[in-house]
Amino acid sequence: MAIVVTVTSGKGGVGKTTSSAAIAAGLAQAGNRTVVIDFDVGLRNLDLVMGVERRVVFDFVSVISGEANLNQALIQDKRLERLSILAASQTKDKDALTEDGVGQVIEQLSDMGFEYIVCDSPAGIERGATMALHFADHAVIVTNPEVSSVRDSDRILGILQSKSKRAEEGGRVNEHLLITRYDPVRVDQGEMLSKEDVCDILAVELIGVIPESKAVLKASNTGFPVILDAESDAGMAYSDAVARFLGEDRPLRFVTPKKQGLLSRILSGGD
Amino acid sequence: MPGPQIRLDRYSVMTLEWPKDSDPLENWLRGQCEIAPSLMQEIAIVLKPSDEHRIEDIRHAVDTLDRLGVGLIGLTGDPRHRVAATTLGLSWLSSNTSGVQSELGPRQLLEEAAQETALVVDGPVRSGVQIYAKDRDLVVIGQVSEGAEIMADGHVHVYGRLRGRVAAGVAGYNGAEIFCVMFEPELVSIGGTYCGAEQISSNLWSARVRVRLDTNAQTLTFTSMG
Repeated sequence: MAIVVTVTSGKGGVGKTTSSAAIAAGLAQAGNRTVVIDFDVGLRNLDLVMGVERRVVFDFVSVISGEANLNQALIQDKRLERLSILAASQTKDKDALTEDGVGQVIEQLSDMGFEYIVCDSPAGIERGATMALHFADHAVIVTNPEVSSVRDSDRILGILQSKSKRAEEGGRVNEHLLITRYDPVRVDQGEMLSKEDVCDILAVELIGVIPESKAVLKASNTGFPVILDAESDAGMAYSDAVARFLGEDRPLRFVTPKKQGLLSRILSGGD
Repeated sequence: MPGPQIRLDRYSVMTLEWPKDSDPLENWLRGQCEIAPSLMQEIAIVLKPSDEHRIEDIRHAVDTLDRLGVGLIGLTGDPRHRVAATTLGLSWLSSNTSGVQSELGPRQLLEEAAQETALVVDGPVRSGVQIYAKDRDLVVIGQVSEGAEIMADGHVHVYGRLRGRVAAGVAGYNGAEIFCVMFEPELVSIGGTYCGAEQISSNLWSARVRVRLDTNAQTLTFTSMG
């Protein structure tokens, strides 16, 4: 059976889609046959972040409604041969997602030999989000170091352990915490929650801290998962997170302020 | 596969002792139902009339109990009432055992209800989750997040950081208490008397705290457990 990894947060705009794209690409890079599904029906974005927006013909909803089969809807990534994308429909709404339909798609993907199914959850706690987490074996909770994001993550963790299939069957979904948009300088100045604060409130195992980085926006705009940008701090941090998810032990990077040299301080105008 | 079988089981039921020449049963019962409505309607009761009661009195009492929704399951007492039980279609429970005399008022009944085995929950209890331990104590192992609500008819124990809302003695048991190893609640309530986070002394924040209800002053008393 394929392992279902749901990337979720409760709050919007924290980096779920960026993280889904990065995690899926990272799992594929590590040699796993991986598919990433966009559950944000009506507000799809994953296709853009993955750079496949011009190649979407059929989507997740057309498969559920029987208009197309999975082979027609799956988009093979051009950079990573083991990675496929299943886009969301932009014209339907989230009611198109039924538990049976989603379950069947996941089963078929599993039968096709995919090892990891990454589900990019929409924001909120309504149908799209609950469908994305229903079949989860693992959940990656994406949180910004900010109180409202942390509270929403806590809420989604509660839903995860009550409404998911595993929870309904008396089991548990494996939880992993991913902190994004982390700025160690602002943490030092007391303007941002520290990673310790966030872990303390949520009591979930931390798999990665992604620094606030210009590379993320650039990657999204160019349709290039940031994890493939091996030069960038965010890309390296995502690689570390995926490695930890796969069981490797790696120290956290980019969590302390960079020591700025005198020269660079003068060149950057002292900011 | 085991088939059907009959075996001896023992159950606890409440006996309603009804002496002759007492206050009219109906008035007394109405009072009890007001104090503890759910209790009176959910427990199984056996009626024990006095020796002097006649079958008409008993029939009247049974009708009254029925009207108030009290769950009467049978009669007990003087063997002469056995006939009444048969006539009224009730079970007869012979009281030949010396039995434990129970003279509990509704308060004690509530206390007894709260002594049922505690509900033990492995945390964390997340934001938006509600847990209610009906008729018993609640024990939470782990943290209770901001925005979560934990409630019990009996005591509440939290072995972790308490950041949500907590209520003990929800059904009105004023002797209920709250025990917590790391006290940072949003709201605390015992027997309906509540207190917000801002009213809690700052030196108790994050401490090991015990909360009781001072029934005279109708205020909550917070003490540090060191």
